[in-house]
Amino acid sequence: MQKKAGPLFYVFLAVFVFFVMFPFLWILLSSIKPLSELFGDKAFNWFTSHPTLKSYVSVFVNYPFLRYLWNSTVVATITTVYTVFVAAFAAYAIARLEFKGKAVILGIVLAVSMFPQIATISPIYMFVKKFGLTNSYLGLIIPYTTFALPLSIWLLVTFFRKIPFDLEEAAKMDGATPMQTYFKVILPLAVPGVFTTSILVFIAAWNEFLFALTINTAEKYKTVPVGIAMFQGQYTIPWGEISAATVIVTIPLVIMVLLFQRRIVSGLTSGSVKE
Amino acid sequence: MKKEASMRNEKRTERILGYSLVAPAMLLILAVAIWPVIQSFYYSLFDYRLNDPTKSSIHLNYSLDLEGYLQNYPFLKSSLKREMATADENAKEKLSDVEQKLQKMDKTIRANEEVANRYDQVDEALNNFESPSDDIKIVELDKQAANQFTDAVHDVVKTLEQMRDAGELKQPDKVVGLAQGLKDVIIEPNFVGLKHYKDSLSDMRLWKALWNTTVFTVISVAAELVLGLAIALLINKAFFGRGLVRATILIPWAIPTAVSALMWKFLYDGQNGIVAKYFEDIGLVNRMGDLLTTDIGAMFAVIFADVWKTTPYMALLLLAGLQTIPSSLYEAASIDGATKWQQFTKITLPLLKSSILVALLFRTLDAFRVFDLIFVLTGGGPANSTETISILAYKVMFSQTNFGSGSALAVIVFICVAIISIIYIKLLGADLLSDSAKR
Repeated sequence: MQKKAGPLFYVFLAVFVFFVMFPFLWILLSSIKPLSELFGDKAFNWFTSHPTLKSYVSVFVNYPFLRYLWNSTVVATITTVYTVFVAAFAAYAIARLEFKGKAVILGIVLAVSMFPQIATISPIYMFVKKFGLTNSYLGLIIPYTTFALPLSIWLLVTFFRKIPFDLEEAAKMDGATPMQTYFKVILPLAVPGVFTTSILVFIAAWNEFLFALTINTAEKYKTVPVGIAMFQGQYTIPWGEISAATVIVTIPLVIMVLLFQRRIVSGLTSGSVKE
Repeated sequence: MKKEASMRNEKRTERILGYSLVAPAMLLILAVAIWPVIQSFYYSLFDYRLNDPTKSSIHLNYSLDLEGYLQNYPFLKSSLKREMATADENAKEKLSDVEQKLQKMDKTIRANEEVANRYDQVDEALNNFESPSDDIKIVELDKQAANQFTDAVHDVVKTLEQMRDAGELKQPDKVVGLAQGLKDVIIEPNFVGLKHYKDSLSDMRLWKALWNTTVFTVISVAAELVLGLAIALLINKAFFGRGLVRATILIPWAIPTAVSALMWKFLYDGQNGIVAKYFEDIGLVNRMGDLLTTDIGAMFAVIFADVWKTTPYMALLLLAGLQTIPSSLYEAASIDGATKWQQFTKITLPLLKSSILVALLFRTLDAFRVFDLIFVLTGGGPANSTETISILAYKVMFSQTNFGSGSALAVIVFICVAIISIIYIKLLGADLLSDSAKR
């Protein structure tokens, strides 16, 4: 349905984009306002005449924000690398090899990805507490497996299935074992799929809130979402700092999304569309 | 024949390879996801509270806390001795009766060799001012012994209290206090069966939370579907700046929900929130403050924030579905004189059905499990008007530290999610899991 777009269409598009981006825009504008303009009658002015970076400085000086960023990076990276590694083998087997019970296995994977986190949290909390893993990176990486692994398997299976079967047949004819076929033929072709899966798993782990909130309560081990959410004190909410912190975490995301949008979209839609 | 055998052999190795490649992932899933759910159910059958030492773990049987026992019994014994030294005849008799009872009780406990062994270990640890580990200090008792113990302690406490009231003791508070300390050393089994479910299901707060969750899920998912479909239909064409629009769409989806919730909290703020002000200006709310302080306002605020965050995502999923519909179908339809609306209902919707259902399935489940957004934006307030079932379960587990009752709520969430999934999967048929590699 490749119709041409008229001028009215672009007006609609601009309005749509504006609505979607408005909250970010406002946060960005607020983050450079001096404290006095965040409250009172000047609160609704779009642009400040006294832009300042005070809030940005405060985020790093008065809060262990760098530490939060580091914690999130470590936890999300390790979770991604290890789950994608484990999932790649399983997904290859499910997508490419003949054995009984594949549908059941895939069904279990899908079912587990639908589990509500709250239903697993009490035993997991008791487990990490018993082994002294609260306030540690491992204490989050283990529970993150619950959503990261099913997600990786599910995405990788769809990517592996898209690789033409003829290649495998040809490798087999040439006498390659299934493992040789996997490493020499399939895996190189699956690199884009593995990459896409990694991005999505990374984002999911980066954004996780409930486990991070309950397991890593010490300031030193908080992740970004929990850290920012806990900026709000009992009586006051430091909106300037919150705005600045939000901008800081959004910018890398914007860059990532701009760079990898095609891949992210293909990953998001891979499970839902039957080609 | 030989070839057939080698084929069979090859099939076998392939099968073995298949299972061994899947095994690590499946074992992990079993350990970190399936086992915890089963355990949640198990926890939900117990009166399991972290803030109560006698209920802070699961006890199927009666047991005795040797640490507590040995922190009381020896001191009680020596105190009784001291009392006896100065008491008159009548009181002495009572005290020796008490002493005998206690000694008999102590003997019964030590009758079992294993228990006696642990008894000594704990005693030694306490003498060295160490605190013995749980594995050592808790010993199981049979029900009869536990009841005997409780009865004996009860008698002792009663006698000593009577003596205290009669003024027959020199250090009444100490003696009675030590005796009463013995009351807490028997740990009763905290198995309660389905009591938590019964209590939860008869508690209005659960039904309110379920209702809130349902309202949130139905309204937000419906709005997201309609808006998402409209946007998908409109941008399903070639236009300049496609990539940029796609990136814009992805940003709300990509930022952490907790962060976006906080952002909306700022925008909704009753005094300084720009969105709250605009809503007041266009008459959506009476006063800016209503947005986060009234029941309906808060629910609306939460739903609006969710729609903002996930409509773009919904649009993307549906757009991908739309792009798989061959344009020749529309051309043929317009040649046959079908109107746009007819094309939409006769071609687009039927062919988009499975995409829509899959998108709805994932969105419904996500909405039903909602936690971060509401936890940060309203905390379930005002007056629990946006408290969803996950928030309620979290509060019971971690604010009231009542893991038993909280786990029961978690299991209820799990069952609801299972029911929703089953309904959708029935509608979708086996489509979702079909092995498309076989085509």
